Amino acid sequence: MEPLTGMGVLALMGAAATIAGASEDLESDVGSQSNPNSQVQLAPQMMYPHRIYSKAISGEPPSNALMCAIGGTTASVLITAGASAVLALVIGAIVAAAIHGTYSVTAYFGRSASQKRFKQPVYLDLIASHTPVIMGYSFITTFCILVVSYLMVAVLAHPFSLPLLAFIWGITVGAIGSSTGDVHYGAEREFQNVEYGAGLNAANSGNIVRKAESGLRNGIDNSWFCAKFGGPVTGLAFGMTVFLSGWITALFDPTKGDAIGWVSVITGVIIVLILILWNRNIEVAARAAFGTYKEDEVEAEVAA
Amino acid sequence: MSAGGSGAAAEAVPQNKIIAFGVAGGLIGIYAAYFLVDMVGQYMSFIGALGAICGMIWGAAAVRRVASYGLGTGVPSIGMLALGMGVIATTFGLAVGGIAGPIIALISAAIIGLLIGSLANKVLNMGIPIMEISMTEIATAGTITIIGLTIAMTGTFDFPIVLKQVISTGYIAVIFIAGGLAILHPFNANLGPDEKQDRTLIVALEKGALAMVVAGIVATINEGASGSLTILIGLALWYIGFSGYYERVKRDAYVVLGTGQLPTKEELE
Repeated sequence: MEPLTGMGVLALMGAAATIAGASEDLESDVGSQSNPNSQVQLAPQMMYPHRIYSKAISGEPPSNALMCAIGGTTASVLITAGASAVLALVIGAIVAAAIHGTYSVTAYFGRSASQKRFKQPVYLDLIASHTPVIMGYSFITTFCILVVSYLMVAVLAHPFSLPLLAFIWGITVGAIGSSTGDVHYGAEREFQNVEYGAGLNAANSGNIVRKAESGLRNGIDNSWFCAKFGGPVTGLAFGMTVFLSGWITALFDPTKGDAIGWVSVITGVIIVLILILWNRNIEVAARAAFGTYKEDEVEAEVAA
Repeated sequence: MSAGGSGAAAEAVPQNKIIAFGVAGGLIGIYAAYFLVDMVGQYMSFIGALGAICGMIWGAAAVRRVASYGLGTGVPSIGMLALGMGVIATTFGLAVGGIAGPIIALISAAIIGLLIGSLANKVLNMGIPIMEISMTEIATAGTITIIGLTIAMTGTFDFPIVLKQVISTGYIAVIFIAGGLAILHPFNANLGPDEKQDRTLIVALEKGALAMVVAGIVATINEGASGSLTILIGLALWYIGFSGYYERVKRDAYVVLGTGQLPTKEELE
């Protein structure tokens, strides 16, 4: 393939992956899936019942792998049956979003009902308002992942099949969403009532913010907040992962000889090293700017 | 934090009965589908998915039992482990077994499960009393799930056909994850101090029915199996599962509200 065509396809894949990453994170935030869920789950037990959707399907990687694998399977079946690729990918994503919706509902029902002794009610209007939002985001995520996987199969001639690639990218987008975006929701949004950067004191466990600027806070309020930083940064992280991991072999094509193949490996290592140094510098700069964590005044008095 | 408590789970239906249901239902489903597809017609392939659902309900019950020992975030991992062991046992069993393939797969799954269970307790010192037996159960249930869904997709467990239509096409990925989530999601979704066995297990039926629908979608392009009947029965089972689950949620929840404020301070005390 022409290197220029390869670059173009890669750019398209990177763009689709960026959208997938952003929508994946916001989808998990609407339902407080993954890491922040432990505090949502704990809150009623600490006498803080809430109106926040608890979408405990599983961790983000398995649940995203599920919707992407279902989407990839349906699309692959339709393509085999002769449907056009665009239609197949859209229908695959619709089926995946519908099944993801049922998983979200059973998770919210079950987790809330199992908190009976802590008097956590089940709110049906939360299901009616949040589930379509979750399904919408999951449609976008699945469709973009299917675009990435389909381009890999159809244009880049990847040896893996569409369902398998969709499954693998589903796990990847879930893992990146879980590690990158969750911090913004779990550590900041859930604990806006404590000092910025204070960390989570054990005494604050379960004391999540339950009241909004007006009325009671819900999952859609949380995704609004996360759309400002957590979602986009997840998108960037996933887009960079897809783009850079493909870029090294598009630039230095290993099929043209072993030597070029090794150059692509070395380029990959250099990129990883640059990212490690860059991250380290950010951390050092942040510590220099904001200092170490301040001691709590009460603790300081006791110590004195 | 162990929201699932830290001790043996209360069981309305004893685990032994569920094991019998899973093994017998699973094997009957697998072999009935295999022979009836040959004798009656390809549209009997849906029976394989019914066998898989028996396996998924059993798997969910086993996950519930072992995860009640305080395995909060470990629940998804254990479900993935189930299908991981299942995939190895299935490919081995079907490759060497011929007509006895599913039985050999089940036996090898039990051995792998027992080994991993003993490793977890003896080497990793997890100290969960039912670890060995639960791992054996989970691996075997995962294997039944995989073989059942495979038959629903292809109409046979004949290894060359399975290899061609399920493994090299990549549909094994969806069997892996849809089966795995049907086993791990029920307990994960209902985790909490007021979890009930029947409410958890009916979610396994509901999620198993969804896996059946997906298997039916794949079956539409395979000559040996029929998709439409599998999809229809899957949707009907899903409806039964979901409405049954909603009934149990209404029964078990503190209160089910259309909308409303949070409980007041007086109410909470």
